[in-house]
Amino acid sequence: MNFQKKRSVAMLLAGGQGSRLMVLTENTAKPAVPFGGKYRIIDFPLSNCVNSGIDTVGILTQYQPLELNEYIGNGQPWGLNRSHGGVQVLPPYARSKKSEWYKGTANAIYQNIGFIERYDPENVVILSGDHIYRMDYAKMIRFHEEKDSDVTIAVRKVPMKEASRFGIMNTNPDGSIYEFEEKPKQPKSNNASMGIYVFKWSVLKKFLIDDENDPNSENDFGKNVIPAILNAGHRLFAYDFEGYWKDVGTISSLWEANMELLGIDPAFNLNDGKAKIYARNYALPASFIAAESKNVDCLIAEGCEIYGSIRHSVVSTGCRVGHDAMIEDSVIMPDAIIEDGAIIRNAIIGEGCVVHSGAVIGGTFKDGEDRAISVVGKNHVIEPNQVVKPGEIL
Amino acid sequence: MKNVMGLVFANIYDSSLGQLTNKRTQASLPYGGRYRQIDFTLSNMSNAGIRHIGIITQYNYQSLMNHIGSGEEWDLELEENGLEFITPFSSGHPGSFRGKLDAIESATDHLRYAHEDYVILADAAVLCAIDLEEVVKKHIESSRDITVVVTRGIANSKKQLDLAVNLDVNGEITDMAVDYAAPADYLASMGLFVMRRDFLMEKAAEAVAHSRYRLERELILKGWTDAEFTVGAYEFHNVALFNESTDEYFRNNLALIDADTRKSLFREGLTIYTKVRDQVPCYYGEHSEIDNCIVADGCLLLGAAEHSVFFRGVRLSTGAFVKNCVVMANTEIGIGAHLEYCILDKDVKINAGVKLIGTAEHPVILNRGDVV
Repeated sequence: MNFQKKRSVAMLLAGGQGSRLMVLTENTAKPAVPFGGKYRIIDFPLSNCVNSGIDTVGILTQYQPLELNEYIGNGQPWGLNRSHGGVQVLPPYARSKKSEWYKGTANAIYQNIGFIERYDPENVVILSGDHIYRMDYAKMIRFHEEKDSDVTIAVRKVPMKEASRFGIMNTNPDGSIYEFEEKPKQPKSNNASMGIYVFKWSVLKKFLIDDENDPNSENDFGKNVIPAILNAGHRLFAYDFEGYWKDVGTISSLWEANMELLGIDPAFNLNDGKAKIYARNYALPASFIAAESKNVDCLIAEGCEIYGSIRHSVVSTGCRVGHDAMIEDSVIMPDAIIEDGAIIRNAIIGEGCVVHSGAVIGGTFKDGEDRAISVVGKNHVIEPNQVVKPGEIL
Repeated sequence: MKNVMGLVFANIYDSSLGQLTNKRTQASLPYGGRYRQIDFTLSNMSNAGIRHIGIITQYNYQSLMNHIGSGEEWDLELEENGLEFITPFSSGHPGSFRGKLDAIESATDHLRYAHEDYVILADAAVLCAIDLEEVVKKHIESSRDITVVVTRGIANSKKQLDLAVNLDVNGEITDMAVDYAAPADYLASMGLFVMRRDFLMEKAAEAVAHSRYRLERELILKGWTDAEFTVGAYEFHNVALFNESTDEYFRNNLALIDADTRKSLFREGLTIYTKVRDQVPCYYGEHSEIDNCIVADGCLLLGAAEHSVFFRGVRLSTGAFVKNCVVMANTEIGIGAHLEYCILDKDVKINAGVKLIGTAEHPVILNRGDVV
């Protein structure tokens, strides 16, 4: 069957186990973790694709894919229910000769060469499913094509003292990359890779096949494929990105990213009239805010009934917060019930949790002190008057 | 319910809703923070498995069409002819409809080629969550020609009812009246009727041929009085909000602040669907003071409000105070403004310090896009 050619196809790596998010990813793939009151992490890269004019997206998934599959559905909320292209969830599947799990990020793409070839693209954009940011990939693709680049890697400046925690791109004045160092002890620059790549498909395909044939390779983009392409003398460029970007792969970064949505002029402003983030919306009525509630510096999504007090927190769709309940510096994920008089501070409460009356979760911290975030996993029930200590994870 | 189609009248109460329906149908009038009135009608039908709905509309229907689109929120996009707009001039009809029967007659082609045996007629002015599957089941069991859905508590000797009935202890209709300010022992028609499709087509054709255009008066009341056919009543026991006039519309928006009304309107298994807008959750500022309010997504609330309904994307500035108001989408209320008993239509801008105070009976109404 002949398909119309697509200029760019995006492949979204959503297969990570997300083990650092612990209980939040027990039964949920990391990209399906709720964020910001009504979103899931994957809404950000998916919406970025749509807002950048990319209408063909493959989502590579293998751990706990059920919820993610259901969430993506036919892609309609993102306008990705296309007759040609659109969004497709790509789990590993049994091929004629052998079937195997995705061994690494590069192997996941290798196993889906057939999917990409159907669209005969010029460029393949590789994205990660655990980053919160807004980015116009179209600009990056234009840069990539103008430079006649084989691989373009989005980078952002990080403080020099933190550079040794990242993959660092060392560049020439024209932006071309001469060296890639994974977590260097003595960083030469502070251009940190954001895990967003644009590849010339013809080049990527060749190196994916080579990488697959190398028994010593870990089949990872950062560790194997990119260094191999660089060593072979291809054109690699760094694309500078300025703006909010956050890897939400850990409990504390997920909590922080939620907090960064707060304020009249927040670090990450989703309500500034710029590119919209789309999400699957459920049919919920507008929220009810009772007279006795007191809500200060917080986001409250639709479908909530709020009788208690909420300060500096994100309360997601379909939650109920009872009388005299108090929530501070916390993230309440969808459909949680916080009963009367419960106290929640510096915590993440998972989807569908019930916190019975009088329970106390988390604690307070001084300014500048490292906050130990308490976490209650999805659908957990906290008994009346139960105490969940600061940093405790249930 | 594959065997039932819906026919919805979108413009019936336009004239009694004044300036709110200047540029939209009564069906597309915003309600309850995030809905349009027709969402309730369409959702009730969709929840009963109805996948074929005709919407009869005469004028001002751009916002209605824009809202409903392909009908995918209500699963109406699944079938060929799942959703049809029926307008004058579109089917050889010479001008605006002279009544519901005239409109039905002009929809003859839609009705003739439908494959469903039953039709539910509805308008979008009575908001409720009703199990229509149950209504149709009771209709079929009763072997009546027409079932009228009725409810208590609306008749009060003041409100003019399109159709009122009185029932005996067995639920049989003992009296029927139209355009009547019926006393409180009467039950009000909710504008929902069930009958066979062929019966409706035959009766509508016959009535229009005799210059009778009014469904309630010239078909149902006449047929029942003359014993030409049988009419039964289905009594609905939950909350039904009649938004047939501006003050009812105002009152019934604020009625959502009552927990029991919310529970009755938003019931498990009878979800009310609406068009998705993808707005961010509402932000409540450092000094906001929001008491007894209904709040939709996308709002930025920095001031104070009591007993009000905020639609999507409203901006309430610091120091502003709003009480007993219905504030529609994307309205901006400036610093220190003071509003009581107002209906602010979409995209209104209230400048800093402006004071507007209406009364419960006569709320101040601002038109879409007004700047004060």
